[in-house]
Amino acid sequence: MESSKQKRCRSSVVETIEAPLPLVWSILRSFDKPQAYQRFVKSCTMRSGGGGGKGGEGKGSVRDVTLVSGFPADFSTERLEELDDESHVMVVSIIGGNHRLVNYKSKTKVVASPEDMAKKTVVVESYVVDVPEGTSEEDTIFFVDNIIRYNLTSLAKLTKKMMK
Amino acid sequence: MTEIYRTISTGRGDDVSPTKCRERRRRRIEMRRQAAVFGEPSSSRNRDRTDMEVYSSFDVPLRKQARRSEIGGLPADIGGFLAPPAASSCQKSEAPVWKGEETEDEPLYGIVSVMGRSRKMEDSVTVKPNLCKPEVNRQRPVHFFAVYDGHGGSQVSTLCSTTMHTFVKEELEQNLEEEEEGSENDVVERKWRGVMKRSFKRMDEMATSTCVCGTSVPLCNCDPREAAISGSTAVTAVLTHDHIIVANTGDSRAVLCRNGMAIPLSNDHKPDRPDERARIEAAGGRVLVVDGARVEGILATSRAIGDRYLKPMVAWEPEVTFMRRESGDECLVLASDGLWDVLSSQLACDIARFCLREETPSSLDLNRMAQEDDNDGEQNPSRSVLAATLLTRLALGRQSSDNISVVVIDLKNSSQ
Repeated sequence: MESSKQKRCRSSVVETIEAPLPLVWSILRSFDKPQAYQRFVKSCTMRSGGGGGKGGEGKGSVRDVTLVSGFPADFSTERLEELDDESHVMVVSIIGGNHRLVNYKSKTKVVASPEDMAKKTVVVESYVVDVPEGTSEEDTIFFVDNIIRYNLTSLAKLTKKMMK
Repeated sequence: MTEIYRTISTGRGDDVSPTKCRERRRRRIEMRRQAAVFGEPSSSRNRDRTDMEVYSSFDVPLRKQARRSEIGGLPADIGGFLAPPAASSCQKSEAPVWKGEETEDEPLYGIVSVMGRSRKMEDSVTVKPNLCKPEVNRQRPVHFFAVYDGHGGSQVSTLCSTTMHTFVKEELEQNLEEEEEGSENDVVERKWRGVMKRSFKRMDEMATSTCVCGTSVPLCNCDPREAAISGSTAVTAVLTHDHIIVANTGDSRAVLCRNGMAIPLSNDHKPDRPDERARIEAAGGRVLVVDGARVEGILATSRAIGDRYLKPMVAWEPEVTFMRRESGDECLVLASDGLWDVLSSQLACDIARFCLREETPSSLDLNRMAQEDDNDGEQNPSRSVLAATLLTRLALGRQSSDNISVVVIDLKNSSQ
């Protein structure tokens, strides 16, 4: 078995959101509209829709994401690997783009918070990615955690506003 | 009749329909007036040449471009290189005209601001000759110049473009009772520094409290789709009879050309500048190398107006330079990093002063192009416009991938 020479790293980001699980999940699961809560996304177009779901949101869907200027990348191509509306799990892979996140795969799981199951939701996003050449594992994790934290903070603000 | 109509409407070959001809002519005229330049990727591709070789060979693409314009066969995608309407070139005559003691001579300057190869235009340029006549300058006029390079959208650079100079004017016209200790020059310098710092602070406060929709944040009902990075660099220069005052936040740049030497009037705010890195880390941030050094791995400039979510790591505070003018001063160049990423300060200085020299041959094609179109009797376009145009064209030729904005101010002929 040939082992990959590229070093990989993994991490998780956890965010508790003051909103009911169905609301949080309805935004997260919209694979075709990441710009609703992802702060560095300027726009998104669907390249192909998978056969399994409604409105091109099924497994295998591919999206082309345009990122805001000033960010260290211009675009990213991402595929929906899994979307389970019962266990509230979503798996997304990055399959292209002019960034350095190679072999990136993330799993997002949403559960009702034990503190207050009706009004609070816990979002856990875990990922694995290659460590880019010339960068340390620590820096890679810091960077990706940062992006995810920005996105989940934005999601928290969005859901708070939607509940008014 | 049908056959004739079909012939006229076909897009193939030499389309000579009246509408198309008028459109081409209008476009030609518009571009000449704006002194916009076009990318010539094939020119100066060989980067192994010495700077002067690149410089001396630069006439050829200009000639080709002129010929193409004369034929009228402009490429269809030309719109992408048009400057925004707000950016205009000063067509003032080079020779100072004596109009009597009461005349307020304005400085001679040229502006070019183009999208270049970027996806959209986020640069802004503001020039305000005779902004006001403040007490600190003995009630003589001051002139304001600025270049703003936005990121994450153009809203902050646009806001700076419309508002920064009004803040400077307001701050200058306030009669603050500041301490008068020290020599007169020290007092003047301290006052100018205070004016610029307060203006930048007010600008940053406005930018961070304004939503992308233009409403004040507390009143806004937008979804929080605002980009996590939404800000702008700002390099501003105030010109008086005796001094040049530069205030800079970010990685745009101001360079003074004095006796042929490039003197930096600003120092780029990059995250890997040792003192900037120290400041960022002291503020709890990190500098990561992701396609260059970036604050939090995200932003390539370490200071900016706006960028609410990256504060305090990305600071608003400008560095201010207070420079006394001398007889050897030739010109001042303000530009965004779309220029400086591919041109050294010294080379920009060399090209600008070459263009501004009186002996520069009038046979340069750009002069002829502009002259053909000039209806108001002006003999030649400003040499400052030519300088800004050549600098921009060279940057495009060197594969600059960003917006490019350049302001060249002729200091030899700007005694005011």
